Amino acid sequence: MITGNLKASYAADERVLDNGYKQGFVLAAAALCALMPFIANDYIILVASQMGIMLIAVVGVNVVIGYTGLLSLGHAAFMAIGAYSVPILHRAMAAAGLPDAIMPFIAIPGAIALSALVGIVVGLPSLRVKGLYLAVATLSANFIIIFLIELEALAPWTGGLVGLNTPDANLLGWELDTQREMFALIAALAFVTILAVQNLFRTRVGRAFIAIRERDYSAEILGISLLRYKLMSFAISAACCGLAGALFAYFYARILPEQFELALSLQLVAALIVGGMGRTMGPVFGVIIIVMVPEILKFTFGAIAGGAAEVAQLRAPIQEIIFGLLIIFFLLFEPMGINHLVDRGLRALNRWPFARG
Amino acid sequence: MNQTRRTFLATGAAATAALGMPAILRAQPSEYVIGASLPLTGPFATAGQLVAPVFTMARQLINDEGGIAGTPIRFVTEDSGYIPQNALANYQRALATEGDALVAYFGDSTGFMKLVAPELTGDQARLMGSTSFASELANPATNPYQYLAGPTYQDQFDILLQNIKDQGGSSVAFIFSNTEFGRDPIEHGKMRAEELGIEVVLEETTKAQGADIPTHVTKLAQSGAEYAILQGYVTGVWPQLIGGARQFGLPTQFMGTFWGMEKLIADRVTEEAGPFLDGYQGVMPYRYFYDREDAPRYQTFAAMASEMFAGTPLENYMSTWALQTMCALDIAIKALRDTAEAGQELTADNLSAALSGISDWDTGGFFGGPVTMENNKIGTGRVYQYSAESRLFTPTSDWFTV
Repeated sequence: MITGNLKASYAADERVLDNGYKQGFVLAAAALCALMPFIANDYIILVASQMGIMLIAVVGVNVVIGYTGLLSLGHAAFMAIGAYSVPILHRAMAAAGLPDAIMPFIAIPGAIALSALVGIVVGLPSLRVKGLYLAVATLSANFIIIFLIELEALAPWTGGLVGLNTPDANLLGWELDTQREMFALIAALAFVTILAVQNLFRTRVGRAFIAIRERDYSAEILGISLLRYKLMSFAISAACCGLAGALFAYFYARILPEQFELALSLQLVAALIVGGMGRTMGPVFGVIIIVMVPEILKFTFGAIAGGAAEVAQLRAPIQEIIFGLLIIFFLLFEPMGINHLVDRGLRALNRWPFARG
Repeated sequence: MNQTRRTFLATGAAATAALGMPAILRAQPSEYVIGASLPLTGPFATAGQLVAPVFTMARQLINDEGGIAGTPIRFVTEDSGYIPQNALANYQRALATEGDALVAYFGDSTGFMKLVAPELTGDQARLMGSTSFASELANPATNPYQYLAGPTYQDQFDILLQNIKDQGGSSVAFIFSNTEFGRDPIEHGKMRAEELGIEVVLEETTKAQGADIPTHVTKLAQSGAEYAILQGYVTGVWPQLIGGARQFGLPTQFMGTFWGMEKLIADRVTEEAGPFLDGYQGVMPYRYFYDREDAPRYQTFAAMASEMFAGTPLENYMSTWALQTMCALDIAIKALRDTAEAGQELTADNLSAALSGISDWDTGGFFGGPVTMENNKIGTGRVYQYSAESRLFTPTSDWFTV
């Protein structure tokens, strides 16, 4: 009877994908992403790209909420910083006479750095307050940043309420002017982000975050500087959201301040909770549920009931209710997130027929 | 299996049919599709739910009239929740599922129209109307496929300012919501007021839903403005701002633009908060639904509505929002029919050309007379005044074309 997986070396113990099914899942996902630009239609590419952007942001939220245990409701603001950095930096670089082909190589790291910097500032209250109080503090940061973006005085740079048209990414002459091409970049960066964050938690820094989550006073007694690591957690988290924001700006032709308000922050946290906090694949499953399920519901209901307005009038609220019920269902039956559910499934598969998860 | 001449011919015929069929279908779909995103849930669900039945009526009406050169139409409607990205996903889903049969689209917000505009290229482009009157969209050079079913907010300000001038007014206050919708015509309005010799004595921004309104009323009182134009509100500030000003004893004449001109809302406010809206004026691009003596199109709608929506509030009254949607659909159908009748393919480029060619068109009564599509908009409207007694908006000016 199989009761576990034999790990005969440290290397085996440290492997990210520690069983064949996980490897298969990840390789299949990578292969699917690689094939998609060639086989999928524009609509599927759009939804997949939305998922990719959101995934990078939720991976960031996972760092601060899932791994460090600091509740934040302001991460949409970091996405806004990342998104607005792109056109602003492009304009500055154009004024400085830099060629288009190298701009993304400066704009994307610039957006990430700027978001990380703002993340550190927003993270400062985390040294004093915790839990719901921190949630409110970060929430107000979201409001403040959106307020600043909308401010008339800053409108020459941010576009104010009207928003900004965004440039296309030009990677050394390869202009990503279609959603299909942008999807390739988003998918690649999403994989890199997940891998980077997964590896972060195999380092001293990542373990320090987890120690803070478990009990911050104890962590401090063990020699972990709360100031340093809490702010670092916010910075890394905001950096991921900044990257997501930068890709958002390149992907969509225009950005508007209303796209980065509280609703987006809540969506990011909801995706994390549904997917599974503090787990590598949690954000992946969460994003699938939050972005893809409403689309599938629309598609299925549309196919069954038709697209006529009188039907849409009824089915739109029903779709919302079903989506809400689904989330309640997942939280009730698997409070540790879908990641845990999938883990149990894969474990059962691995040990079949001797154990059932 | 042996290949005989007969099996070879049969296989060849089958292959030709299989390969050729999609091309035939693409050239002439059995029905054309018009997609739409509506805010059926979310903050503007009330408006979306009121507008949705219009599509049912439009489908029956347009198909009864022969569709588009004999080919019937069908609508594919989806909820956007008033989120521009959702509406964009809806549009691309409609493109993916309907393909070339999708010939036009109706959007639900300025945000969506701006977000989708750069995507409208090549085979992704479709003729597109919307609920928006944003000035930025009325530009065929940058937005060739998007059109406005009426005047821009800037045009509406022009109409109101001209009306103030005609009434001998000399000072005006601009009170607007802190939204894109609110700010749209303000700069233009200031310029126009200066040209007309009207002094803008106050520019006041508020939240879209009334907060801190007493402060604004005080400022309005201090400014001594004869007229106050409200922009960027749907229902929000009437009771607090206009009601507050009346309590304060201010004689200021309040005015609004399209989204602040709905009779249903005015009636409800009057019922719940008193008759302070009496005398409120504003610009409307269209006739109200009850003003249908010279509007044969409205008479047709009325006949259909009394049958289709019997027993509902829509039986006797179509909201201004519903009329705007209907007008936008009629414009799209006009462009589609003109293109089809000219024997051209219903591509976005051909439809855009047909749209620009709409000239001296009798809409059947939406507007005061024949209209012309200039810069992808119809810059006409007139000023109406609300009476709390009759519960009607009645015209106080002639039709202006700007």
